[in-house]
Amino acid sequence: MVTIMSKFDVPLSKRAQALKDKRARINKDLRLNVERNRIITEYYKAHENQHPLYKRAGYLNTWCTTRKITIEDEDIFFGDAGPTCRSLHFDIEQTPHSWFASNFGDTDERFRAAWQAPGSIWVSDEERAYLLEAADYWVGKDIGATARGIMPDFFEAGGAPPFFMDANGTYPGHFNPNYEKAVTVGFGAVRREALEKIDEIVKHTTHDNTRKEMFYRAIVRVCDGMIAMSKRYAEGCREAAKSASPERREELLKRAESLDWILENPARNLWEGLQIVLFYQNLITADGTHWADSPGLIDSFLGPLAENDIKTGALTVEGAQELFDAFLLQIGNQIIMFPKPNNDQLIEAHANGKTMFDLQGGMQNIAAGSLITIGGQTVDGKGDYSIATEMMLLAYYRLRVAEPSLALRVNKFTPERIWELGVECSKRLGGMPQFNNDDVIIQSMLDRGVPIEDARRYAVFGCVEPAISGKEWSMAANCGMYGGGPPGLLSTVQSIIFGNYNPMMGGETPGPAAKKLYEYESFEEIKTEIEAQVKAGVDRASRAYQWAALVFETAWPCLSASTMTDGCMESGKDVTWGGAKYNGMGSMFNAVATAGDSLMTIKKLCFDDKTVSLRELYDALVANWEGYEMLRQKVLNEVPFYGNDNPEPDSIVEWMTNLWADEFNSRPGPNNGECNMGALDLYWVSGGKRTWATPDGRRTGDPLSPSSDPRPEAVKNGPLLYVKSVAKMPWVKLRCGGAINLRLDANAVRSEESTAKVRDLIQSYFTMGGIQFHFTVADTAVMRAAQKNPQDYQDLVVRIAGFSAYFTHLPVDDQENYIARYEIAV
Amino acid sequence: MMSAGASQSNTAHAENAAGRIYDIQGYAVHDGPGIRTTVYTKGCPLKCLWCHSPESQRYELELGYLAVKCIGTDLCENACIKACPQGAISRDEPKAALDGSGMIQKATIDRSKCKNCLSCTGACVTKALYATGWETTVDEVYDRLSRDRDFFKNGGGITISGGEAMAQFPFTLNLAKRLKGDGVHICLDTTGHAPAERYEEIMPYIDLFLYDIKHMDSAKHKRFTGVGNELILENARFLAKRGAALQIRVVVIPKLTDNEADLRKTAEFCASLGEAVKLVQVLPYHKTGRMKYDRLGWRYKLTNVEPPDDGFMEEVLEMFRSYGLNCRLH
Repeated sequence: MVTIMSKFDVPLSKRAQALKDKRARINKDLRLNVERNRIITEYYKAHENQHPLYKRAGYLNTWCTTRKITIEDEDIFFGDAGPTCRSLHFDIEQTPHSWFASNFGDTDERFRAAWQAPGSIWVSDEERAYLLEAADYWVGKDIGATARGIMPDFFEAGGAPPFFMDANGTYPGHFNPNYEKAVTVGFGAVRREALEKIDEIVKHTTHDNTRKEMFYRAIVRVCDGMIAMSKRYAEGCREAAKSASPERREELLKRAESLDWILENPARNLWEGLQIVLFYQNLITADGTHWADSPGLIDSFLGPLAENDIKTGALTVEGAQELFDAFLLQIGNQIIMFPKPNNDQLIEAHANGKTMFDLQGGMQNIAAGSLITIGGQTVDGKGDYSIATEMMLLAYYRLRVAEPSLALRVNKFTPERIWELGVECSKRLGGMPQFNNDDVIIQSMLDRGVPIEDARRYAVFGCVEPAISGKEWSMAANCGMYGGGPPGLLSTVQSIIFGNYNPMMGGETPGPAAKKLYEYESFEEIKTEIEAQVKAGVDRASRAYQWAALVFETAWPCLSASTMTDGCMESGKDVTWGGAKYNGMGSMFNAVATAGDSLMTIKKLCFDDKTVSLRELYDALVANWEGYEMLRQKVLNEVPFYGNDNPEPDSIVEWMTNLWADEFNSRPGPNNGECNMGALDLYWVSGGKRTWATPDGRRTGDPLSPSSDPRPEAVKNGPLLYVKSVAKMPWVKLRCGGAINLRLDANAVRSEESTAKVRDLIQSYFTMGGIQFHFTVADTAVMRAAQKNPQDYQDLVVRIAGFSAYFTHLPVDDQENYIARYEIAV
Repeated sequence: MMSAGASQSNTAHAENAAGRIYDIQGYAVHDGPGIRTTVYTKGCPLKCLWCHSPESQRYELELGYLAVKCIGTDLCENACIKACPQGAISRDEPKAALDGSGMIQKATIDRSKCKNCLSCTGACVTKALYATGWETTVDEVYDRLSRDRDFFKNGGGITISGGEAMAQFPFTLNLAKRLKGDGVHICLDTTGHAPAERYEEIMPYIDLFLYDIKHMDSAKHKRFTGVGNELILENARFLAKRGAALQIRVVVIPKLTDNEADLRKTAEFCASLGEAVKLVQVLPYHKTGRMKYDRLGWRYKLTNVEPPDDGFMEEVLEMFRSYGLNCRLH
């Protein structure tokens, strides 16, 4: 069939194809990144007396100077998170001891079936023994232990802290490192600046600047390490050149020359720029913070390098594209073990012909939530698009990879071709890129108090969360989930039904005392109670966030970020000490539609129509609708729901989301930054399993509504009114982001003009005030076929929430939920 | 005085003419340029064998039954069975419920007894039993369509489709006038089977006619659709001569309309209409409407026809292009 895409469908070069093949090969034969954990453990063990800052600087320096240098035949770029390509990264200091004990300490037979079977992530006997011993060392010293020492009452209160401070403790991650500075300024300049600062301080020592001196000394150690690492790779290239073909030898020697130059100095050409981004990403991963850390606006500073190389004839257009292709594969090869599977799961997976790699895909983008942002505006408000923007989109389009995620900023300057490529890319590669509305996001930054020139330079991290690229220490957490944790939209609704009883977990909920549903006199009274619950929930959440930030400030600095983040060198402070120019604390609510439709049901049936008593509805919910099917059908068929541009249910959603946003955004954030509300959920299927029946007709265990989207079955008037409903949420206040996520039937995008129509739809939503837009094109028939013959559909990518996943890697429940998702079939 | 008042009230009445429709769909991307919302009127003079919207054919409201939604008549205490004055509804054989809750007996309809009185639809809480359309007015539809206006950039707008919208002429004409007054881009999707004077009257309000040419051989046309093609071709010529913009739609149905000689005649005819034809859409037959027949208790007649393959459609497209026509697949 003729499609307009033929002009984008430039075949991959042989070398890019070889790199893609290498990835497919390695996916069946992954290794755990033991090296990084060995280096940090041995360093911390030998330097227990050091200040946390020096421990971290010393470890990073040692990692740079002792890590194994691997140069392989196919490689265009160098440097993985570990010693081999796609070494699966994890951080021993944030992995609970019990995980090692139960999985590596298991019987030999079960250990081998889980970790040494064909298709498993190989862990040798020696590595097993080492990791068990190392895990023993970290008992009482890991992040979770530190957190318990600093904020014990939060753990005693039953798990109220944000998710990155769960029982295990996790680095906060979630920021946009300053790759631009690494590429255009370099570690040599930062090192010199630190030394100059020390010289000054030595002349005028005070209490305050002594602390700064310690920081600058740590920075010098990190920079020394990075510069040395680059030179070690140069040496590796020269070594490899000795036995290489003449052509490869010439290439390796040229790369060696570049590697001797970069990291210390700014990039002189596109290859050097891309290689610096990759090395810096290596460092961030080694620092343990590679968790939703996201390269922002890279096309902005890579574009001029690419254009110059092409202009001078150093690169052909095809040659530049090959570099972007290789770069995308290389950065996506930095993968993280998330979630951590246990031996039972692994043994079962192996028995079903699956690998651990398959298990990883469903919960998260395997690149650990990393998200590349391209496009946007310059500081003076002009469009910022370049050949690099286009080549990044083409790389995704042609490579068909789901990681890392991709965000495209759009505004009135976005060129036609970028729009066209963006839509075509997302048609092929579900949800990649996601589209970001500059008008709304820049306004939301201004509302935070960010000056316009910095607001224009936002990038998105993780899933949908905007922050000032390279200048902000941002964190994000989920404000309110299922079971334990701080309250969210739905848990406040649950609290006006069940009072302080949690029907799923049994036991008390942490909120203020609340009545049972049948004790309320009016809907207004219910709303007043929800306001009180929200306020109390935000009190608890923001307090937990402040304490969590104190844990990192005290014991877990982030020097990989501080080395480059604007503000740190000026202030002499690590990012965890408040050194960054901007600080943000994001929080997400979930299940907007389940919560809103539940309240609408109560209002309509029990107060407006009075056809159902509160007691009857309460009893039906307690019984999980068993024996109340007729009432459930009445709810499903008589109550007007969110997602149809119906003023009443939509206004309940508007009211609730405004309430949350106003309350949370008004609180001071950690490091004197802002608190930023958002609307996102990754786990509405698994979260639904942990959530009791809800008044909207949902049974216990059924999926919740996804993020801010309507419930699929509640959409009765098609996609336009669906979009209008979602646009009513206060997106400028929901400045931690949140995307509408549509699934289009392939038939809807078949015609030649469909690309323009999808673009119209996106722009219409943005004009109405929407913040972000994701869509996937996937036919039910295709997904059914993929379930039957997964091997034939390895490239089928669908948008989940803030990330896209390979459909065949999703757990069956999530596949079914995806198929049931509201589909625009035309 | 009396007569003037009556006339005014008649005009007001016509402006808000009653209509009978069976659906309104947003993002109807195949029904003309840009993002469109399509309103579908009920009733059609043609009965095409391949019709993908059987509920569009009759003007009368009929009983639709989406059996998958029925939760078994035990739970509702036989609400539909009790509501049916004809005794046309009974309990089906026990079958396993989809949600795994056990065996249930759903409603089953004896269509020979059903008089489409729709009493059961009011009694059915799950809405498994439903009417295949509803009564409305120009005002109501106008208000609903206006809510989609924010999306009609870049040439998008409203499409009035059917059934045959020209069969409910006062409704269609006044809806078009009303929308045109707001500057909305309007497409009329028509079989061409209506009196020429109606086309003449509505022409000023229609930006683009989506016009089906199903077959050039009138006898075959009658066999496949129930009517000959004379009026349809005549109206097409009439509209072309009067300067209307036409987007011709040709559905390629294996065994029925895929004969090359026949298709060439269609292409020749399109070419003969000259400048008026802005685009010819060559559409492959599809089967997505089949399940709708079950809901009405109708039999789908083209059971042994499969969609044409992509390669053949490309050939058809090229053939149409060879007549100098601006063509598109889908």
